[in-house]
Formats: sequence, C-alpha cells, structure tokens
Amino acid sequence: MEKLKRDFNTIALAMIPIAIAINIAVGQIVKALRIPLYLDSIGTVFVGAVAGPWVGAVAGLLSNIVWAFIFGDVTNTVPYAPVAAAIGFLAGVFGKYGWFKSWWKAVLGGAITGVVASLLSAPITFYLFGGVVGTGMDVITAAFRSQGMSMLAANFLQGLATDPLDKAISFLVVYLIIRTLPDRYIDRFSRADDIR
Amino acid sequence: MSATYGLYVSKQTAIHRLHPLTKLTYVLTCLLIAWIVPGVWAPYIVLLVGIVPVALMAQVFPNVVQNTIKTTIPFAISLFIVQGLFWTGGTIIQQLGPFSLKEEGLLFAIRGTGRIIIAVSGFLLLSYATRSDELMLALSQKGLPSRISYVILSTLQIIPRFQHKANTILDAQRSRGLETEGSFLIRTRALLPLVFPLLLGSIVDIEERAIALEVRAFGRSGPKTSLLVLHDTNRQRLFRRLLILVSLGVIALRIYLWLAPRFAA
Amino acid sequence: MISLSDVTYHYPRSDSPALSNLSLEIPAGQFCAVIGANGSGKSTLCSALAGFVPHFYRGKLTGSVEVAGIDTAGSSLAELAGTVGLVFANPFNQITGARFTVREEVAFGLENLGVPLAEMEPRIDEVLAFVRLTDLADQSPYALSGGQQQRLAIASVLVMRPKILVLDEPTSQLDPIGSKEVFAVLRDLAATDEATVVLAEQKLEWVATFADRVLVLHKGKLVADGPPAEVLSSLTLTKYGLEPTRYTQAARAAQAAGWRTDETTLPVTLEQAVEFFR
Repeated sequence: MEKLKRDFNTIALAMIPIAIAINIAVGQIVKALRIPLYLDSIGTVFVGAVAGPWVGAVAGLLSNIVWAFIFGDVTNTVPYAPVAAAIGFLAGVFGKYGWFKSWWKAVLGGAITGVVASLLSAPITFYLFGGVVGTGMDVITAAFRSQGMSMLAANFLQGLATDPLDKAISFLVVYLIIRTLPDRYIDRFSRADDIR
Repeated sequence: MSATYGLYVSKQTAIHRLHPLTKLTYVLTCLLIAWIVPGVWAPYIVLLVGIVPVALMAQVFPNVVQNTIKTTIPFAISLFIVQGLFWTGGTIIQQLGPFSLKEEGLLFAIRGTGRIIIAVSGFLLLSYATRSDELMLALSQKGLPSRISYVILSTLQIIPRFQHKANTILDAQRSRGLETEGSFLIRTRALLPLVFPLLLGSIVDIEERAIALEVRAFGRSGPKTSLLVLHDTNRQRLFRRLLILVSLGVIALRIYLWLAPRFAA
Repeated sequence: MISLSDVTYHYPRSDSPALSNLSLEIPAGQFCAVIGANGSGKSTLCSALAGFVPHFYRGKLTGSVEVAGIDTAGSSLAELAGTVGLVFANPFNQITGARFTVREEVAFGLENLGVPLAEMEPRIDEVLAFVRLTDLADQSPYALSGGQQQRLAIASVLVMRPKILVLDEPTSQLDPIGSKEVFAVLRDLAATDEATVVLAEQKLEWVATFADRVLVLHKGKLVADGPPAEVLSSLTLTKYGLEPTRYTQAARAAQAAGWRTDETTLPVTLEQAVEFFR
C-alpha cells in the first residue's frame, strides 16, 4: 500500500496527461504518414516503465476514455480500455524486471505485450461488435472467416497481424527515450532504479 | 477563445441544465436496454424513443446525427460483409457471385449496427449536453478520486496544444527536407525525427507541472471544496432511481428469458 | 519569518554544492531580491524555501531552513503548500489544467485546502482585481498571453494567503510587455508592507526600484547583502557575472570621464540617475 502511494506521487499524476497527449499526437502523426500501425500507446508504455505497473494501467485506461471524450469515437476506445490498461501494466512488469535496460529485451517485451493485447481484444471485438472493428483490418478477419475459421479465432489472428509488431516498436521507442533523457529527469520517477 | 469543455456544445436548454448524473444514468439505461433486450429492432426503438427526442430538446440533433453516421458507417459495412456474407450455415436469401447473403447474418448485422448506433449517439448526446468538469465533479461527489478527475480534465485541455505542437514539428521536419511520402519504409523511418522532439520536449514539462500541483496543495489529504456548484432537484433524484429500477427490471427480464427454457427442458 | 542556518545542498549525482554554508534571516514584510548569474544557486534557494529542496529533488541537505516557524526538512510539501507560495519562470506549466476558466484555476488551491465556498468567492475576486485579470475571469487559462498567465499563476498562489511568496525568475520567459505587467503587480505587492517576498531576478533595473533588500549569490554562496542602492552600485557586481543597470554604467562612465568626481553612491534607478546627472 505504501509502495502504491509512492508510485502514484504527484510526478506520476502530472505525467499521465502528458502521456495520453503523446499517445494521441503520435497516433495522429502515424495516421498522417499513412503508416499501417497504431503506435498510440507510446505514452502509456513510458508511464508503465518509469512509474510501475499500476500507474501504467491507469494511464492506459484513462487514455482510451479521454480519447472518446475528444473525438467522440466511443466504439474503438472505451470498450478496449482494459486492453490499454493491460499494455501499461505489462510495460511496468517488464520494466520492473529490467527489460528496458537492453534494446532486444524491450522489443521482445513489446512483442509479448502485443500477443496479450490480441488475446484480450478478440473477445471484446467478438462479443460487443459482432467481430468487426470498422477499419480495413476487417478484411483480414473476413479472409480467415472465409476459410471456415471461427469468428473469435479470426479476431485473434487479425490482432496478431499488427499488435506484436506495433507494441514491439512502441517499446523500442520508449527504450530509446529512456536512454536519451538526462539522469536528472529519470531520477524523479519512482521506478528509476529498475530501468537505468 | 473562451473556455473549452471537450465536445460540449454550449446551449441554454433544459437538457443542458440537468444534473450530470441524471443525463449519465439516462444514457446508460438506454444503452442497457438496446444491448440486452432481445429482438433485432430493439436498439432502433430505443433510438427513436429515447435518444432522438432528447437530442432534439438539447438542440444538438444535427451534431449527433452527423457524428453517429461518421463513426457507425465503417462498422455497418464491415458487419454486413463479415457477418452477412460469411455466416456459417444459415438460410441463403440471395446469391451474389461466389458469395451468398444469409438471413441470419443479415439480421445479426442489423442488430449489431443498432447497438453501435445507440452506444455512439448516447455517448455523443451526453458529451454535447454536459460540461466535462461538471460530470467529473458529479462523479467525484459519488467517490471518484479527485486525482482521476484531475487527470481527465487536464488531459482534455492540453491535447489541442499537443496536436498543434505535433503539426508544427511535422511542418518543420518537412521543410528541412524530411521525406514523409513514399514507401512504407521511408514513412516509418520519418517517424523518429517527428516523434522524438515531441516526446523529449514534453517529458521535461512533467517536472514543472508536478511542482505547480504541489504548490496548489494538490497533495493534501482531507476534505476538498468546490467553486463549481451542481444543481440537483428532488424530481431528478426520483427520476434517476426510477431509471435504475428500469435497468434492474430489464436485467431481471433478460436473466428470466435466459433461464426459463433451461428449466422448462 | 525566514531563517536559514548553515545550509549546504547537493543535487543527486552532483559533487559540487548548489548552496554552500548559507545563513540568512529575512524578517516579515520584507521584499527581498536575490540576484546572481546562471547557476549561482538562486533557483535552488527558491526551491529550498518552498520545500522542493529536498522533498522533490531529493539530494543531500544539511543545516536548517525555517519558514514561518516550520522546519522545511521535517515537514512535507502538502503541509508547506499554502504557507509558502512559489511562482516560477514557465507560465504555461503553472496552469494546472484541472479547471477550465481563470476564476476556477484560481480557486483550485482553495478547493484543495477545503476553504468553504462563501469565503472562496470574495478571496478570488480580490486577487483577480489585484493582478488585473478581473475582465478575463471567465476565459480559458490557455487562451491568455504569457504575461497574463504569469499573473494568473501569482493570483493562484496569493489567493491561498501564503505567509511567504517566492518568485523564481517570473519574467524570464515573457516578452517585454508581459514582463512589464508582471513587474507592475510585484511593485504593488512591494508597496503593501504585510507581504514577505523573495524574488530571484536577473533584471536589475526592476529589482532596484522596489526591493527592500538585495542578496547576491555566487556559486551557492551569499557574497553581498544590503539595500539595492548599495549592492547594485557596487563595483564588485561584474565579478559575479552580473551587469550593473544602465544608469549605474552611465554614471560610472561619467565618473571616468571626470564629469562627477565627488564620492556619491552611483545611481541604480532612473530617478537616482536624474538626481546624479543634475
């Protein structure tokens, strides 16, 4: 409990809005560059790495809720908030075990997180939206489905087509940020010793 | 520029003046009915009876319609293709080249689209007619930690500035000759010089934002007060209780419909 | 009101002290300016008075810092908030973003202190009038200019009625107009005898016109301390990387040219310069 209080210090609270803004701004740059990825959880992964799993989870959860309040797009955001929370949480767990200290471990951690994200997203897509996400990704789902695969499995494979790569890149970017930032900024965060 | 409240559309209507919890409970009740009451057309009835009149009263009907269509259409198209055409088994009602349109898939897609329409339009209605700070205050009074409410409200306010910052960086890097067009690889490589200035610049701000919060006694525990005052009435409290009763009733009905055939068998 | 005794402070990972054997007494009601080159320890002193050294920056603090009878090291930031107010350079980052209008932003500190609504409103009106933002009360804080945002930051802290107000280079990121607006507020503050103010500042001309006392820091040490006329006209100022005001420079040039050779103190403000050259 004491440790949790330390994680949720004022620095962490001041960081979450910035992290969410980074998620959204980078997500939009990626869209502007027409790159077929999301990269909309870099901020969340950073928070998890420097402030621990629980703060990471809160950042992910709130990121999706705020996204809805800004763009009015409630379908692709709020229902997937638990997935975003899991991404932040896992970033915190990998951070705790020093996986942000080397680039290949960061990439591996990201890929694993991507697999978990696909596993968690599939049932949400399936039960809430009848198996579609309303983007070009649905072509993949349709292709698997036409092969006679169950909808739930098709949703999972659709996620696997992007999520592991997407999260691996996000984790790598966060690794690079942590390396680039001067010590005095990293020192301020509660989990500084685990990642440097 | 006066104060901005997210999606909020400032109007002087009776709906705008309602207590945020009244609107929230109402929209959630509509959502619940649309999602769990059986029948393909249930969501559309909720839309006509529950959402449309209130949107008209709040004078945000065109906004709701426009943005609901924008969000729902891609879903609807995907649903009709993925479910309508790739439904396993089912009754074929129309042959379309190599594909066949199935009745069960079509009905599923209609119902799914209706549910999404309710989720989107209900959320939009709430957001257009409710200031986000009032909603947060109402939720804080029901026990939401003030720290969560701070995070949401301050994020809503810094995002427009961040988007502006992102665009500035995008333009600056382009004018320096950064290739942002071309193959997937070129565009992906262009990402780092765009993303890094944004990230590093903002992470340095975090420290000062934290200091500003501490100076304003944000870290202090104990009861807090509020300059903003929400107006509630006994009629609204009664109405909210009624909505909760309706919701419970709908849940009970759903459970009954689900269990009854099992006991009968 | 403020008492530092033998204060030495090291930032984490730093071998050289940012503050070195600093001892200092500032009585209630005094408007005290702190000057010094970049890296002289001005900001660190401000952080120490508000408790951010050591509570926020960590590092190693020896000696004692006492503000309004509270030992800062033995207290917490939450306890110090409201007793010591801090305003710093970047106006944008001082807007909490927790509230949507200027008036509500000012209220945020009072809400956290649990001040009742009836008491809150007159206090907010009073400070908004004091910093001349009454007309902008219903605007978004983010729509204000830098100078307006900085006055909002000052109002947001003043409304909490701190016993001590600390300002760390409040005009260094503002344009000339914004700086002038902020200095006008500081001048009014200096005119009220109740406020105990510590102002770290580079713009010596402004400091000279309203400070009761000037402290000069150099490499974390207190190297000069006295009334502005005396400290700012001193020949040693350049030794600490500081440039005397243009009035002092002009007077010095006049002396060198042999216009005025009598032993009067050199002017540091416009008024004194007019007097000097008459």
